[in-house]
Amino acid sequence: MTPDLWVLLALVGLPFLGAAAVPLVYRILGERTAYFAALVALACLGLVGLLYGTEGAQSVDWVPALGIELRFYVDGLALLIATLASGVGVCILTYSGGYMHGEPGQPKYYATLLAFMGSMLGVALAADLITLFLFWELTSLTSFLLIGHYTTESSSQYAARKSMLITVAGGLFMLVGFVLLHAVSADALGSATWALAGEGSMLENAGAMREALESEGLFVVVLALLGIGAAAKSAQVPLHIWLPNAMEAPTPVSAFLHSATMVKAGVYLVGRMRPLFLPADAHPGSLELWTLGFAALGLLTMTVTAILAVAATDIKELLAYSTASHLGLIIAGFGFAGHLGAETGAFHILNHALFKATLFLVAGIVAHEAGTRKISELGGLREDLPITAGIAAIASLGMAGVPPFNGFYSKEFLFHAAWETGAASGGLYYLIPVVAVFGSVFTFLYSIRFLMLFFGEKPDELGHVHSPPVAMLAPPALLAALAAVVGIGGITGTFDVPLGPLEEFVGSVMHAVEPAGAEETSFHYYLPTTVTPWAIMSALTIAFGAALYPQYGRLHDGIRSLLRGPVRANWWYDTATEELNPTSTAVRDRVQNGLLRTYATWVAAAFAVLTFAGYVGASVDVPVPQEPATYLPLALTAVVLVASVTVFGDLSLRVATTVAGVLSVLALGIFAWAIFGLGLTPAELATQPPVVFVLALAAVAGIAVSRAPSHIAGVLTLSILGFMVAIFYILRDAPDLALTQLVVETLVLVIFLLVLDKLPAFYGGWDRGRMARDGVLSLAVGAVVTTTVLVTTAASPNEESVIARGLAEASYPEAGGNNIVNVILVDFRAFDTMGEIAVVSMAALSIVTLIALRERGETR
Amino acid sequence: MTEFVLALVLGLLFALGTFLVLRRDVVRVVWGVSIISQAANVYLVTMGLLDGSVPVLEGHGEGAGAVTDPLVQALVLTAIVIGFGTTAFALVLTYRVYEEHGTIDLLELGGETDGN
Repeated sequence: MTPDLWVLLALVGLPFLGAAAVPLVYRILGERTAYFAALVALACLGLVGLLYGTEGAQSVDWVPALGIELRFYVDGLALLIATLASGVGVCILTYSGGYMHGEPGQPKYYATLLAFMGSMLGVALAADLITLFLFWELTSLTSFLLIGHYTTESSSQYAARKSMLITVAGGLFMLVGFVLLHAVSADALGSATWALAGEGSMLENAGAMREALESEGLFVVVLALLGIGAAAKSAQVPLHIWLPNAMEAPTPVSAFLHSATMVKAGVYLVGRMRPLFLPADAHPGSLELWTLGFAALGLLTMTVTAILAVAATDIKELLAYSTASHLGLIIAGFGFAGHLGAETGAFHILNHALFKATLFLVAGIVAHEAGTRKISELGGLREDLPITAGIAAIASLGMAGVPPFNGFYSKEFLFHAAWETGAASGGLYYLIPVVAVFGSVFTFLYSIRFLMLFFGEKPDELGHVHSPPVAMLAPPALLAALAAVVGIGGITGTFDVPLGPLEEFVGSVMHAVEPAGAEETSFHYYLPTTVTPWAIMSALTIAFGAALYPQYGRLHDGIRSLLRGPVRANWWYDTATEELNPTSTAVRDRVQNGLLRTYATWVAAAFAVLTFAGYVGASVDVPVPQEPATYLPLALTAVVLVASVTVFGDLSLRVATTVAGVLSVLALGIFAWAIFGLGLTPAELATQPPVVFVLALAAVAGIAVSRAPSHIAGVLTLSILGFMVAIFYILRDAPDLALTQLVVETLVLVIFLLVLDKLPAFYGGWDRGRMARDGVLSLAVGAVVTTTVLVTTAASPNEESVIARGLAEASYPEAGGNNIVNVILVDFRAFDTMGEIAVVSMAALSIVTLIALRERGETR
Repeated sequence: MTEFVLALVLGLLFALGTFLVLRRDVVRVVWGVSIISQAANVYLVTMGLLDGSVPVLEGHGEGAGAVTDPLVQALVLTAIVIGFGTTAFALVLTYRVYEEHGTIDLLELGGETDGN
């Protein structure tokens, strides 16, 4: 059964509508807006519920010209992520009602949190690459706002910027990958498509897509680009560094971001793309490129960040590193070929969301009630927070992978998959299960350390710890209960009474990440009943962990002492950004230093260089007239120009006479050449279009303006230029323009004279060096403009344009006017004219204001 | 051929305009902007059909076949008027700047004390 389009649109649209309504609702409800937002999330959860049992794609055209659709696709994986986003969303928003009490910026907080949830729902359901990218970036954007919630704290600013830089940069890599996939789909499917899943999509034709990618040599490239995008989002080593800083956000946001949204987008992408890159016949021994890439990345992240979690000093920092570690586990699971890998990833997404959201909410309670997040200052909280301690026990034992808690089963699947892959290839590949166990030992260690916050002796400095309000206790209790149910399902499963709906659901997720045509397996999970290598791996993890736990303090200090300088990924980030900031300040001071000429210089130089580079890059031919006769008016123009320079220039009499003499000889020579050399008659010479002479005069006037010895002389010669342009319009069959130009020129002249009367006779001399530099720049601009005019006029069509003809033909019948330009201005494009009038009136108003200010003065 | 002259003249006008914009006298900067916008208008008009007739029809709309591009002219007409508005505004601003700061030297206004 295919899903209903309206349900999908409502599901994705509702959180955004809710976000838009938040500022209004906040005025009425105040802090209780949290429960309004939770209701919106609950409605979304209900809509997700309507989608259960459906599968397939629905789409609406978005940009048909580019083949882009708003396409949504529902399957197990999409449902899992959507359920988590909306379900955990309900818990988080309810919890916020207690946690955010008295905090600043609440309307912004709830609106952004709802939009964040909506973006994640969009990511889960989108099946068009562009739509997916859009929602993907929206999660980056909203999480930026949420991480930087305390806008005045420098640590929040740092964290928000860091997450934005890393995740958005990763998203751009992904976008390039998407565009390449789109391009390749033209080969594979016959026509290019953006559709990822559903009918006629890339996933439906995964085999053909793989072949096309390989024949184009793009398989590795696309895989790497998508991998970088997913790794940046899902905090994989070495891009994990933004995640620990993201704890600057209010704790409910951290819980949401770490369990159900944002970071899950990356693992979602890996799961979604798995059937595209993994052939149906892939098995643990076939060592696909996919496996080598993602299993290695995942295991590396899992181990490195688990070690870093042990070195953490803050409970939220510990949980943040542990998130990265568990995301590594999921990525590694998806990396392994075969159904075991799919089971690992699918099941652990669910388990991780349950225990991690719970633990963050517990951390929030601890921080809120005990007033500190330092691990060393906390202990024995069980006495004051007995319920919270119980919740924490279920969740952290699940995180540690202790049977029969929920995390155990998915970790067991990982060990199984790792063992199969290692055993199938043998030799060095046995390192895979070894690394999996090694990383898991650290996971066990930090999980137990977190749990021990509640046990042992309570430090004396820690005063009385209050009990949390119900709004803060109920959500983690609910989530922990769900985690416990998953765990109990494993126990009953051992006795052949499985938790049917859950197994079926995880089975459908597994099916979604398996390549089409892969061997059908149903999903079951239970406690190990026989001795298998993977059961031994689990036992070893717990045994090593338990043996090492007494040494936790020494391990913690040891790892911390190793984390110095370039060993830390953060060092690279900080060094790079520290160097960038002064550089950008220096560039700003150079390019925008408050002097008009500096700005103008950069703009003009950039214009000249970029345009010129464009022409060179596109190897444009500059059309130059070939017949010698065409150079005649040109030569004459040149002579006139030089003559004018002589006349207006302040040259000495002798030089001027010499130049004039040379020019006369030159002009006579040109005429002689034209008559005798080219055989033109004087009559033919006279037919040279008057336009040329008008333009030459305009040029002379332009030169005169720039050499004007006084303001008055300059304004008058500027007017000559304007009137020449008016004559040019007449000659070019544009009477309306000529009329307007004449009126405007007259008015401008009057205004200039009025203003000049009040201005001092300052003409600003310059040294020769600057004059020469400006001259070179101006000549460069002029040369580029000349080239542009030559290129574009040569390219302009000789036939009348369709638009021009259409306007001419419609002019009389539709507007009853014979003057087409007038009709366009007052009828066809009347709104443009209204805008123009608005500009002129605004200028007039500003002028009136400026003149009126004169009486009062600005400062008084 | 006319195009060639046109290209050279427009290049020259843009060069002169740029040169004026880089001067320290505010009035000259206004001239420069004015010259550049005039040249841009001329360029736009040139982009219309070159060998058509005046875009005014006779009687009841006959002869719609061979007119120059009226859209370009309408565009430039708007541009001329807006150019007028901005020039007038720039001039009054210049006047006010002089009143407030007692100078129209851009170097002085920009905080640089000497000509170098």
